[in-house]
Amino acid sequence: MAYLSTTNFLDDEAYLDRWQYTLRTGELDLSWMNAATERIACRPQSPRRGLTFRDLDVGSYGFSAMPEIIRDNRSFAPRGAAMPDGLPDAQADVNLKSEVWAYNVEGYYEEAMSRQWNATTDIAWAELAEIELPEAIGKAYAQLLTFLTEVEMIATDVPAKWLGRLNADFFEVKNFIATQAMDEARHAEVFRKRALTTGYGLMCASPHNENNLKFLRDGDSFAEVSLGLHLQAEGMVLTLFRFSEFISPTDADKKLFRLVMQDEARHVGYGMQHLKWVLDHFPEKRDAIHRYLDEAENFVFGAGYCAEVTEPFIILAGKGLAQEHIAEGIRITQRFQLKQIEEYFERLAKCGLPERRERSKLARARELMQAALDTPAAG
Amino acid sequence: MDGRAGMPTLPSHRAFGIGWRPRQISRGRLSSMTAISFPSEAFFRELQRLMGEHRDRFRALGYFDVTFGVHVTSDRPGEPEGRFLLGFDVFDCVRAESVSGFGADVDFVLEGRLAVWREMLENIARRGAADVEHSINTLTHFGDALRVRYDDPDGHDKLYRFAESIQEFFNLAGQVQVAFAGRERPVRASTGV
Repeated sequence: MAYLSTTNFLDDEAYLDRWQYTLRTGELDLSWMNAATERIACRPQSPRRGLTFRDLDVGSYGFSAMPEIIRDNRSFAPRGAAMPDGLPDAQADVNLKSEVWAYNVEGYYEEAMSRQWNATTDIAWAELAEIELPEAIGKAYAQLLTFLTEVEMIATDVPAKWLGRLNADFFEVKNFIATQAMDEARHAEVFRKRALTTGYGLMCASPHNENNLKFLRDGDSFAEVSLGLHLQAEGMVLTLFRFSEFISPTDADKKLFRLVMQDEARHVGYGMQHLKWVLDHFPEKRDAIHRYLDEAENFVFGAGYCAEVTEPFIILAGKGLAQEHIAEGIRITQRFQLKQIEEYFERLAKCGLPERRERSKLARARELMQAALDTPAAG
Repeated sequence: MDGRAGMPTLPSHRAFGIGWRPRQISRGRLSSMTAISFPSEAFFRELQRLMGEHRDRFRALGYFDVTFGVHVTSDRPGEPEGRFLLGFDVFDCVRAESVSGFGADVDFVLEGRLAVWREMLENIARRGAADVEHSINTLTHFGDALRVRYDDPDGHDKLYRFAESIQEFFNLAGQVQVAFAGRERPVRASTGV
């Protein structure tokens, strides 16, 4: 136990006397009724949509007026509540709005809540059970699913790790991060379930991938973690999910990837809007962001382009192991990997970091892939 | 689908034995349906109407907040083409109209030749929903069949944030008798036969 009470309440005569007096006499304290808080009655602006966080953005309860540094609330008190003496210092690690805030974070939360799906019942598992995939396809798919399960397990842990470390005033961000943890847990679930229905089970864990995941998990600040996870890693994973839908062998698998890509795109949206917020309000952080991305891109290239990740894509895209299938699979996979990098740079440019394209070592990977695609195949 | 550059020859779902069940349209309903031409505002308004009939399904998928364009291009003189604006808000399609151009309020535009759109809609008509080779994501992925035009990557990503809702919207075409220019008979909506 790291935290102990300074009072033994069942031995505290004053506490016990007051409690018993109230129950015995009916004389209530009622001082809490005079809480010096704003009296408001929020209403839904769109009855069709329901009551959203945006409807609650009013006065001291709102998020628009929140300052950059949260000095007043060091406790667990919900934003806008009266804070009497005696509240503990919760010692939140993150108390700067620029570390967490994103344009439209309240909208992303509401969208997340309304678009939750169920990995147990929303996939046609009974139909998939009747499908026998050819061995090479089945093993390649199982390896891809193993990789994706690994990724999503850590994508669950990372937001969950930071959730309790954010100041309580970042209510909307905390709620959004909670939905991300739930989304990622569902992704890990659906990928594990699909792997165990292929007939091949799980395949190999990936050292390269796990080292990248450890880099993300062990980020020094929420800002770093958000940049690495939401924008960079999930941006590339979003393109990967879209490619996976493209190469999926069945209708049910395509639906599976459409459902996961919905969640992923939402997380990427938060990451983009967070980076925009930071660069709009604190442009001096630009160099630090570049230095972080230098290392993050190093890790992601090692993870995303290693054999146990690239080869399953080649087999799935080319539809087999015969030489002509592999050649076609390589060509298609290169186009996908090129797209991943292009869309990553495109997002960064839109967020206010257009110079990343010139600085990044991924530009070299892009050049190599483009050159390979532009070279006519032998024979 | 063979012969489109960049598109692998994907095996039919039947190769993997999946039993897909198209939506059933009664013979009585079928005989009363009037063929709707594609591309046309009437076609998309019919999808809008059908989305209202299936509101529970779209409500279960969640908030659907996007505005996108459909641009049907022609590559032969006399072939119909068109630009259509589709707006979605909360759980409803609130706009389905023909436009002369796309403005800044559009998140993205799905653009492609009439032949591609027709093949997709004919596939949906046969099966009641797009198969593995004709989903919106498949057709747009490398931009070889359908292209996704956008100014803002955030708008582009809405194609993926609402992927299942958008796919289900186009799948509603399986309940429409569609007439394509140059075809003597309309493509019948799926009857499950």
